[in-house]
Amino acid sequence: MTPMNAMFGEVTAERRIAAAPLSHVSIELGHLYMEDFEAGPDRLRRMFRRVAPWAGAVRSTWEEQVPGRRARVSTCFLIDDYFSRFSSPAELVPMVLEAAAESDLTIDYLARESACAEPAGLVEDRLVDDPPPGANGSRPPVKETGWLCNGMRSSQAGAVQAMGRAQRWAPPAQNAKRGHSIFVDVELWDETGPHRTWSCPFLAAVWQLLRLGLLRDGGRLPLRPELRPQAWPTDWDALSPIVQLGDHAPPFAAYTTMSVLSPRFLPVELAVRTILSQVAVDAEVLEQVAGRSEGEGIRLEEELVDRISYVFI
Amino acid sequence: MLVMGEVHTGLLQNSGEVAASTCRRLLGLLAGQTVRVSRRPIVHAVSPDRLTGVDCRLPSASQSRVRGVGTVLTRCSITGGRVVQGSSYVRIVRAAVDRRLPWSHYLARPGVMEVLGKAKPRDLSDGFTDDLPGDRLSGASAGRTRPDPARPDPARGDRGPGWSGSAPLDLGAISGRFVDLVQSSPLLDRRAPFKIPRTRLRWVAESASESGAPAIRFTLHNDQLRTLRLVHDGEFTPAVAELCEDLALHDWLLTTLLVIVERALTGGAPGPEAVAKLTPAVDHLLHLWMPAARVDETLTPLWESLERYPGFTRQWQSLVDRIRDQISVNMLTLLIRKGGW
Repeated sequence: MTPMNAMFGEVTAERRIAAAPLSHVSIELGHLYMEDFEAGPDRLRRMFRRVAPWAGAVRSTWEEQVPGRRARVSTCFLIDDYFSRFSSPAELVPMVLEAAAESDLTIDYLARESACAEPAGLVEDRLVDDPPPGANGSRPPVKETGWLCNGMRSSQAGAVQAMGRAQRWAPPAQNAKRGHSIFVDVELWDETGPHRTWSCPFLAAVWQLLRLGLLRDGGRLPLRPELRPQAWPTDWDALSPIVQLGDHAPPFAAYTTMSVLSPRFLPVELAVRTILSQVAVDAEVLEQVAGRSEGEGIRLEEELVDRISYVFI
Repeated sequence: MLVMGEVHTGLLQNSGEVAASTCRRLLGLLAGQTVRVSRRPIVHAVSPDRLTGVDCRLPSASQSRVRGVGTVLTRCSITGGRVVQGSSYVRIVRAAVDRRLPWSHYLARPGVMEVLGKAKPRDLSDGFTDDLPGDRLSGASAGRTRPDPARPDPARGDRGPGWSGSAPLDLGAISGRFVDLVQSSPLLDRRAPFKIPRTRLRWVAESASESGAPAIRFTLHNDQLRTLRLVHDGEFTPAVAELCEDLALHDWLLTTLLVIVERALTGGAPGPEAVAKLTPAVDHLLHLWMPAARVDETLTPLWESLERYPGFTRQWQSLVDRIRDQISVNMLTLLIRKGGW
C-alpha cells in the first residue's frame, strides 16, 4: 500500500485577513483646529505654503529610493469634525483644496476626524500596558480607567496605608528611562453619562494606524476610502469618512507615514507615540505587511513607532 | 533558549453543553478578532491571543536573580462546549542589550521574554518545574512579623518591588485570570452538573538541537498540579503549545473521571445510588475523549510515547468499561426485580 496524505480544512477554523493596498509613504499635509478655519482662508494658505517644500522633500527621497516613477506617495488631510462642528463640507472642502492647489499641493485623501472614532474600540482592546519593573503577571495591570502612562504614577503625599503609616511622596518613574524619567500620562477618553468622548491623541493614534493599514475588524479593513461625491454635502455626517479625491491616487495606507505639523502639536504627538508604543497589532497583519514590503525590496522598521515620522515646522 | 507555559483546565460553569455560537461569544476577548471554531472531530473554539506585559525575575533553580522583560501570550479555548482552558506561554530568548528597552521593542515580539544578563536554560527550566505554586503558598502563609528590607515599603517612598525584589514570573495567575473571565460570563448559568477542581499543567519545551533527542516527561505532583518537560525536533512553533493543551485536556478528563468513579463506587454496595453518581460522566464527559485530535503530525510521536507508558487511553477505556458495566448490572438488577424473576 502506498502512504497517503490526507488533508482536511475547516473555513471557520482559519482566519482570513484582508490586504490593504499600500503606498510607500502617506504624507499628512498639515493639521488645523476648527478655530484656525474660522480665521479664514489666509491661515490655510500660509499653512500649505510652509508644508509644501517639506512634502516635496519626502516625495523626492522616496523617488530616489524607488526609481523609475514607481514611488507611491499619497497625501492626506484630516479635518476635525469630532470635537467641534464648523461650517459644512460644501463650504470648507473647496476652500481647503484651493488653498492647497495655490502651493502646488494635491490632496489625495480627505478624512474626517470622527471617522477615527469608529475603529477606536478596536485599538483600545489592543493596548498592552507597559509593565513596571516587578510586574510578574500575578496581578492584573494597575489601571487608571481611561488613562495610559509609560511608567509608574507618583504616589500621593499624606495618603495613609491600611496599616497606619503615612506615605511619603514618591516621584513618578518612566519604565524604560535612560538615567532620568520623562513620565507621560495620557487621557484616552472621558465619559458623560453613556457618551464617551475619545481624546485627540487617541484619535490621532487611530489615524496613524489607519494610515499604516494595520487595523482589521474581523479580518476586514475597518474603513475604505470612497470616491468624491458629485457635490460636497452640507452636513459632515453625509460625507464618507475617507474621501478619495483623484481617480488615480496612490493607495491611502502606506508602509510609513510622515506628518508635517506645527510645533504646537508636539505634545499631542508625544501622547500619540506613548499610546502607539503600547498597541499590539495583530501579528498576522504585521507579517502580511512585512512580506509585501520585502517583496519590493523595502525593509520596514520592526517597531510601529519607527514607521512614523514628522516634520515640525 | 526555551519555552515555558501553564495550562489551566476546568469544567465550564454551565448546566449543559454550550453551543458553538455561545462559545464564540464567550471567547470574544478582543474586539475585531474572530474566534476560531473547528467542528471536526469535536467542537473546539479558540479565543484570539491576548498579551500581558511582564518585567520580573525568571524562575531559577539556583535562586539566581535573572531579569526577563516581554509579553506573555494567552488564549482560552472551549472543547465540546464543556471544558474550558486558559493557556499562557512565553518564549525565553537572550536580549541583545543588558538594559530594558522602550516597550514598543517588546510589543514587536509578541509572546517573547528577553533575558537581560546571564542565564542557563537548564537553571530556568528546573526552576520553573521545581518551584511549584504549592510550595510557595506554604512559604507565604508562614506570616511575617519583621519588615523585610528587600520588600517595598511605601513609608520609605519605595515604588513597587522593582524587578529583583519581585516574585518570579507567574504564568499560572495569568492563565487563571483568563479562565475566570470566561467563567464569569453572564452567558453561563453557573449550574455545573458536578464540582471538580481545575488542574494546572506547567510545561517547559526545548529544541532537540540544544537539548538532545526528542523526549517527553509527564509528572503528577498532586491532585491538581502536573508538570511536563519536552524536547521537540526543530524550532518551537505554537503547535508545541497545542500539544501541551491537548495533554492537559485529556489529563483533566482522566482525573475527573477517576474522581467521579471513586465518589460513586468507594464504600457501600454498588446500586442505583452509585449509578446516579456515574450518570454525569456519561452525559458530559465520555464523548470528549479524542487524544491528539488536533496535534501536529510531527509531534504525535510524543503523544504516542505517553500512550505506551503510562497509557492514558488504556486507563480511560478501563474506567469507561467499569462505568458501563455498573450501569448494565444495575439495569439488569432492576429488570429482574421488576419482572419478578
